[in-house]
Amino acid sequence: MKRKSLFIHCLVLIALIAVLPLSMVQADGHCEFAEDTVKIGGLVPLSAPGAVAGGIAMSWAINRAADDINADCGITIDGANHAIEIVIGDSEGSPERGQAVVERFILEDEVDAVTGVYHSAVGLATMSMLDENGVPTVFSEPWNDNVSANGIMEYDGRPPRNADGVDHVFRVSPASSMVGGVVVNWLIDLGVGNVVIIAENTDYGQPAAADEYARFEAAGATVTQINVELGTEDFVPILSRIQASAETPDVVRVLVTGETSFNLTQQMAELGIAPTEDTICVTNQVAFQSEQYWQNVPDGNYCAFNRVGIIPSLFSDTAVELNDAYFEEFEDIVPSYAMASYDAVFILADAIERAGSTSDGAAISAAIETTDLDLSQGRYYFEYGNHNPELPEGTPAFMWHQWPDPVVTMMQYFEQGQSSLDAAVIYPAVYQTHGTDYITPGSSP
Amino acid sequence: MNESFATWLLLAGPLWAAIGLYFLPRMAPKRKRDSAVSEHDLQAAGVVGGFALGPVGIGLFYLAPNLIRRFTLAAGITIAVFIAAQALVRVSDPNLPSALWLILAGPLWAGIASYFIPRRYRDAEAIDTNALTAAALGGFAIGPLIFGLTWKHTPRISREWIIVLGSLGAWQIYTLFAIHNATNPCVAAPFHLTYLTQQTANGVVIGSIYSLMAVGLTLIYSVQGVVSFAHGQLYMVGGYFSFYFLLHAGNILSELTGAEVSVNPIWGIPVAAVIVFIMGAVFERIFLKPMHEGLIERVSEYAILITFGFGFFLEYTTLAIAGPFPQRTNRFIEIRRFTLPRTQITDDFFFGPIHIIGDRAFAMVVGIVLIFALLYFLQRSWTGRALRATSQDRQAAAVTGINPTNMNTLSFALGSMLAAMSGAALIPIFNWVPWVGAEMVGRSYVIVVLGGLGSVPGALAGGVIVGIVEALGAGCHPDPSRGAAYKEAFALVIFALVLLLKPTGLFGREHN
Repeated sequence: MKRKSLFIHCLVLIALIAVLPLSMVQADGHCEFAEDTVKIGGLVPLSAPGAVAGGIAMSWAINRAADDINADCGITIDGANHAIEIVIGDSEGSPERGQAVVERFILEDEVDAVTGVYHSAVGLATMSMLDENGVPTVFSEPWNDNVSANGIMEYDGRPPRNADGVDHVFRVSPASSMVGGVVVNWLIDLGVGNVVIIAENTDYGQPAAADEYARFEAAGATVTQINVELGTEDFVPILSRIQASAETPDVVRVLVTGETSFNLTQQMAELGIAPTEDTICVTNQVAFQSEQYWQNVPDGNYCAFNRVGIIPSLFSDTAVELNDAYFEEFEDIVPSYAMASYDAVFILADAIERAGSTSDGAAISAAIETTDLDLSQGRYYFEYGNHNPELPEGTPAFMWHQWPDPVVTMMQYFEQGQSSLDAAVIYPAVYQTHGTDYITPGSSP
Repeated sequence: MNESFATWLLLAGPLWAAIGLYFLPRMAPKRKRDSAVSEHDLQAAGVVGGFALGPVGIGLFYLAPNLIRRFTLAAGITIAVFIAAQALVRVSDPNLPSALWLILAGPLWAGIASYFIPRRYRDAEAIDTNALTAAALGGFAIGPLIFGLTWKHTPRISREWIIVLGSLGAWQIYTLFAIHNATNPCVAAPFHLTYLTQQTANGVVIGSIYSLMAVGLTLIYSVQGVVSFAHGQLYMVGGYFSFYFLLHAGNILSELTGAEVSVNPIWGIPVAAVIVFIMGAVFERIFLKPMHEGLIERVSEYAILITFGFGFFLEYTTLAIAGPFPQRTNRFIEIRRFTLPRTQITDDFFFGPIHIIGDRAFAMVVGIVLIFALLYFLQRSWTGRALRATSQDRQAAAVTGINPTNMNTLSFALGSMLAAMSGAALIPIFNWVPWVGAEMVGRSYVIVVLGGLGSVPGALAGGVIVGIVEALGAGCHPDPSRGAAYKEAFALVIFALVLLLKPTGLFGREHN
């Protein structure tokens, strides 16, 4: 009896061992991967003084995109499936550190492409290195206008730019001027005449402030600019100065990122400077993270903010899925830079597949130029590049290798603790959700 | 006086002063001068005589060196200042009011006085404790008159004198400011008094909270002689302990009562205090005690590295556990801001309104109460006296039955606890992230050195001074676009000046 039982047990064990490899293939979604992986470097800030929260969100999105692509059998080159391998590097928000990480990406990790970058200073410092080494790169968050053709030393301002050193760097985040244009047009339409801009002393804040300053002045508004250091906690002395000015400002525009903007906006509200009936509060896009925003800016009701990316009510299926996954992980709404980072990996993967090579940077970059993909933020394409080198008169040089359609809207909270999914889209008119271009504090749309 | 003559005077003055400084002490015949005319007197005479009257001045003192001991020096100084200032005024701006000459000459006189007066004190074998500070401030504030006050006699310049002279100097800066930046809110009537008071109130409120953190740092230093580089992270974890305690206590109470309950952040302060006190005590026993027992060779380096390491450990552990997203607790009080209403004193003179954010005012009160409680503990309790005794002389304290090892542990635990309490007091005010301590700890070092390393009252005063200087600096800077960006630099300027003029700090002991 015992012998028979032992025999049956052995048979079961053998059967299990035989089935095991089959079950592993099943677990991989029926994909067989070639040994070589496609390495994509993700350059994000994961330590202070960088925007760590932003970096973690971007890192999560980059890895999520790789997982999603790998679940769909990765990138197919010459009939073989290649899995994507993500290598994350911590820029710390510092240009020097960013350069060191890119050097490591190129020399040690031998990445096939790069994405990420939150801080403009890091983008500006690393783009020439990436370009010179022929590494196809899709930046997903730096806004500085010069993070493209403008910022390349060799660029002389006249297309075509073949061999001018602007071949491999692309951007799917908006340039500061694209965002500034929307914000200023909205405020000018509202009739503001006395503007206070509070800008961070960085490669993002200063050019963005200069751009908006010029636009406001051109529209006849009086502008006062105040520069602050990123990481400052106490803004009360400088806010008291605004409060003491002879004329109450019509708007206080915050060009400060991350948690610093939360501190600034909350102190502004606590002192009764803005938002008030007389003064509009326009805070940074991080306000879109409503969970964080309300925890840190409990008095920030009626603040408006610019939002990059498709408005929540128009989210595609991909965006909804991504948002759900993000919410599960971070209990907040997916920010635009996470969506852009997610999409950037897909753009790179698609280009590598079409180029049919992981090592031919020029072929991959040429393929990126002809991208035509519908992803979480909408349809991606690059209007100007070596495939279409003639920029029409008046088109800014940053449009070279720039995704031209990031949706920039103005949104506004009108209830304490409101989710950003329910916040009002107030500008441009075509996207308005509550039929108004501004909700005066104390009222409801 | 035409411009070219003024320029010539400006150029010639320093040249002759340099010649006088070099040659007069070497050339003045010893037989003609009495023994009271020292080498420094001759140097001073060379500079002043040369600057004021060129070769005539040098010749005068060469022929009659004893004149230096009389009023001649003061007269020469006055002439020199007058000529130099007039020349400067004319060259820089012919329309500038001549009354500004003293203000323009302030830094020059501060430099001259700080060079000569302390030497004069030492030559006279007088106490020169505050001589440098008094000379610099006095030179800046009242120009050559400081020589008249201090040259003939060598009085001991008291702290009160320094305050008076410093105030005079500040008044001069204010006057200069008022003339050159008439639209600045700090000087533009009729709002300036309200505005200055508002900024001073901002500074006092935040400065009191700075003080609480700095007091902990200075306490550790005074007893152990160790500068804790983990202080910022202890401040940070204090905030997080408060945050998580409030979160969980709120959840538990909500479950028990069936209604949403939020716990006031004031309760987070004692919780953070107890946890970090224990944490500090354990760290001290394990890592710092061997240092005091002679088991470590390079004690100073070890103390820096081990506290640095502790700080890193705390920061990155918190990052791993709490994540990078900013946190904030509920308010202490449900009053967004206090507003002291406008008070009309005369038709043209009014005051207010002054706004103070409610939670900040509350945190200030918490900070002040805790500092005074600590002072009471240090002054009145046996343990507090034992701590002070250990900080003054460890061996003598041991002879009287005090256990210095226990005092070391207590001081580190107490200091850490104070940092944690200030963190717990500030988490309703600022967004809290794992690296929030970096900015605060840098400021704390400035405060403790400014107040005097090891001095608790010094840390209190230093914190308030730093708070006020930062607020006034950011609020009064002529260029509003830069004022906020330079906020921390203003405190560093004061810090540098204090280090230069009084290296022991405002309340520091001469010898530790």
